[in-house]
Amino acid sequence: MDQWDYKPAPDLEASIANALRDFPRQPDMLIYGVRSVAATLLRGWLRLYHRMQVDGREHLPNSGSFILVCNHTSHLDTLCMLSAVPLRSIHRTFPAAAADYFFTSLKRTLVSAILINALPFERKTAGAQSLAVCSELLKNDGNVLILFPEGTRTTTGEMGRFRSGIGRIVAGTDVTVVPCHLEGGTRAWPKGKTIPRPRKLHLRIGEACNFGHLDASRESVQTICQELQARVAALGETPS
Amino acid sequence: MTMSTALRDPIFLTYVGIIIALLGAAVLALRVLRARGKDVTSAEASLRGWLIMIPVIIGAIFLGREAVIIGVALLAIFGFKEFAKATGLYADWWLTGVAYVAISSIAVIALMTDPRTAQTGWYGMFMALPVYVIAVILLVPIIRNRAKGQLQAVSLAILGFVYFGWMLSHLSFIANLPQAYGYLLFLLFAVEINDIAAFTFGKMFGKRKLREAISPNKTIGGSLGAIAVSLLVPWLLWFSFDNFSATELILTGLIVGIGGQMGDLVISYIKRDIGIKDMGAIITGHGGILDRVDSMIFVAPLFFHMVRWFHGAP
Repeated sequence: MDQWDYKPAPDLEASIANALRDFPRQPDMLIYGVRSVAATLLRGWLRLYHRMQVDGREHLPNSGSFILVCNHTSHLDTLCMLSAVPLRSIHRTFPAAAADYFFTSLKRTLVSAILINALPFERKTAGAQSLAVCSELLKNDGNVLILFPEGTRTTTGEMGRFRSGIGRIVAGTDVTVVPCHLEGGTRAWPKGKTIPRPRKLHLRIGEACNFGHLDASRESVQTICQELQARVAALGETPS
Repeated sequence: MTMSTALRDPIFLTYVGIIIALLGAAVLALRVLRARGKDVTSAEASLRGWLIMIPVIIGAIFLGREAVIIGVALLAIFGFKEFAKATGLYADWWLTGVAYVAISSIAVIALMTDPRTAQTGWYGMFMALPVYVIAVILLVPIIRNRAKGQLQAVSLAILGFVYFGWMLSHLSFIANLPQAYGYLLFLLFAVEINDIAAFTFGKMFGKRKLREAISPNKTIGGSLGAIAVSLLVPWLLWFSFDNFSATELILTGLIVGIGGQMGDLVISYIKRDIGIKDMGAIITGHGGILDRVDSMIFVAPLFFHMVRWFHGAP
């Protein structure tokens, strides 16, 4: 009799925290189940407690991979973006999250990896590597990457400068970028508060764009960042 | 089994006392050894694992029948998951899903009352369950219209469910018995003593290998020593089941001694065939869930059916 063909999972002998920190993560039925329930509850919470309004859902591409970029005012940003994509693509939507914050303790890792499906982004130690992981992710069809190009939450309420990472990912590729703007995040969940307040949130999704016509030079990366920043800012000034 | 009966149950309280004393002694012994400059890193990792596991187990038994049944179901589900991940069955979400649902339904069957006899736990359905589950598992390739690789997939799913799900879940039906405290605590304790005895006797007297192709560290000396110890333990802990006759005490010893080692060896050859060292890394210093509960998988059902044979339905 021939040998059976066993295929042990690559993360078999990793501890829970390490298996969850590893990226891309192995698909796991139990985690998918928990995440689907959490995403459904989250949508209800945002709609009822924050009366979240989403404009421009029609701008989200129906096929291919794309990037959502947004201003970063509070942790609610990620949650709102996650709630803007269709529920069926929730397991293929990856908010890039600072590994030095969201993947430090076991508790944070559990929440980040299981509920949020975050991509651990090494913004301090291995930025180039993390960007490569993002690019790899976008090569497969149907993945959504959520990025906050400011790199950190704003404390002043003013939008910060867009970092070059987003430009380096999309310059010279046909990856679609969808600019978004969330209004009300700072008031609803100020930095340092544990519980969000019941303030209104307004997410505006802008028109998708593409930077395939530009090369990967430093200048074009800068142009892309400036253009995206302008687009996000313009969305914020749209009258409701 | 409820919280208030646990506090008044002399058997429960005795075991809690014994376990606290043993853990205290172990902590102390390791401190002394370390102070003398011995390397006790692996023993400490193992003890740390116990210091997490024991409060969880005792806590569940204290909370009562429902907590034990839910705990056993979680153990079986995550045990099955380890097996599925190790063999590659986990990539098949249909079969894994069927097994998860089937194991969860055992918990429901154990929690409910028998609709005909009004007994706690629907024993008849529990015994019949493998028939239905195996039928559903075999149906999956038919529904999906697939043949390639399906014999391996359904075989692994059936073994995984029957062995790690159904056999281990006999613990839930032991929890439904009137003497649950004594039975459960005795089994947990005796299985551990058996493991430790096999290890210790193996170190002291082990020369000839027991099954060198399966587990090169196990010796005939260790195995015989463990059986001898396990035959003695039921007499020392007779208070756990004062309704037992001498025959039952001897059988209990044999079940723990032989069954415990068999469970260990079964997991060993499964791992060796796949080519992995541990089933997982969920418990620090102990490997995966299946590396920990391997002995109990044989002991729980054999013990349960021996009790039923001698004492009938409760």
